[in-house]
Amino acid sequence: MKIFTEAVCKSLTKKGEELCGDNVEIVRPHDSVIVVMADGLGSGVKANILSTLTTRIASTMIKNRASIEEVVKTLIQTLPVCRVRKLAYSTFTILKVENNGNAQLFEFDNPDVIFIRDGRIKDIPKQTIKIEERLIRVARLKLRPGDKLYMLSDGVVHAGVGGVLNLGWQWENVASYLEKWEKKDRHVSEIVNQLVKVCNYMYNNKPGDDTTVVGIQIKEPEYLTLFTGPPEDKNKDKEVVKRLMESKGKRVVCGGTAANIVAREMGKEIKTNFDLINPQVPPTGEIEGIDLVTEGVLTLSKCVEILRKFQSSDIASINFFSTIRDKGDGASRLLDLLLNHSTHLHFLVGRAVNPAHQNPNFPRDLTIKLKVVKELINLLKQTGKKVDVEFY
Amino acid sequence: MVEITVCVGSSCHLKGAHDVIKQFQKLIPEYQLEDKVELKAGFCLGKCTEAVTVKVGEEYFTSLTPDDVQQVLEAVKKGAFKEEK
Repeated sequence: MKIFTEAVCKSLTKKGEELCGDNVEIVRPHDSVIVVMADGLGSGVKANILSTLTTRIASTMIKNRASIEEVVKTLIQTLPVCRVRKLAYSTFTILKVENNGNAQLFEFDNPDVIFIRDGRIKDIPKQTIKIEERLIRVARLKLRPGDKLYMLSDGVVHAGVGGVLNLGWQWENVASYLEKWEKKDRHVSEIVNQLVKVCNYMYNNKPGDDTTVVGIQIKEPEYLTLFTGPPEDKNKDKEVVKRLMESKGKRVVCGGTAANIVAREMGKEIKTNFDLINPQVPPTGEIEGIDLVTEGVLTLSKCVEILRKFQSSDIASINFFSTIRDKGDGASRLLDLLLNHSTHLHFLVGRAVNPAHQNPNFPRDLTIKLKVVKELINLLKQTGKKVDVEFY
Repeated sequence: MVEITVCVGSSCHLKGAHDVIKQFQKLIPEYQLEDKVELKAGFCLGKCTEAVTVKVGEEYFTSLTPDDVQQVLEAVKKGAFKEEK
């Protein structure tokens, strides 16, 4: 069975430091996902350089099918030696998940990955191998939809050390906390946000160590194609609509003119809804064969605004993804489709400029619709989606 | 039936299309035009620079505010617009 892997990450930086000493790299070659998390020795700039080098080298090498031995050897030879500690050191956790569910896990000195299946913590049987005097834990897994995995840096396991908790939060407690919040339709980024938020509480908002959580969620692939904005060249209208209608999965149209183009090309009527559920979001419409029709730039900006709010963990609710389901306004319905009902997103973005949006009396956001679309795509990628864009 | 379509595209929405709709919904019963008028919302009527746009029968009205609704309905009542069957 084909699967899709969503991966999200979030970090706290040690108090007083500008840079985080943990680093995460997520790469997506066509047949797999590679997630690498590294925790560099020390903190601040030095640690950041060590961990960034580690994630970059490891992800690139694994992507090019290097063996773990080669990766470790390269890391040892490349990492700069710390002048104080006379050591070149960074921990790492590497997970490679192929699109058929086969996964490989390599851990070096990081807390064990937490694996949750069917709502329960599950042990990962591991072998320990020795490469260049370093002990690496190795595991092979067969993952299936519904599985969730969490990589933690030691800042999570030690959260609260010397403050609220003598020994820190500890792995077992973190694991059972994750188990407690596990729910079938809860998105992994909600749990990652929640976990990082709690770590910050335990540190009393002054993290004593760089703290990172990576959440990985296995899903069945779901496809969605979104068409927004009229094409710059009117002769392309037909082509765009054809692309939209031939796509597999769900179809969404954002924008009045875009909706008119689709309706015209398909010879269908648009039914526009009256009711304004949220005064900030224009009404939605309906075209037969399209899953959702919304207004364009205002709805998209609202989506960006809501997602941004969610990303800033302090105010985000752990039920964010499920509450969005019930709201019913255009932006929430669009976000529900994008977040809860799709993994592979394809954007068809027309570049024509609406003269009305250049009017100086209009909010500046409108003149920069392309910017809004790009920002939305960026935010969606951060929630673990695979996004492709095509401009017309 | 005279069809009245109020644009709810981006520009018209920002310029208060919903207030215009509400005004129509309020005044149509007052003018006892429920059987003569069909109120609809439309996606982008293509006159974004002159929002709010309202299409009555085959005629377009631009830069409409809730205060203008009364005038439109009075004209409808007098039969100024072609009725569709």
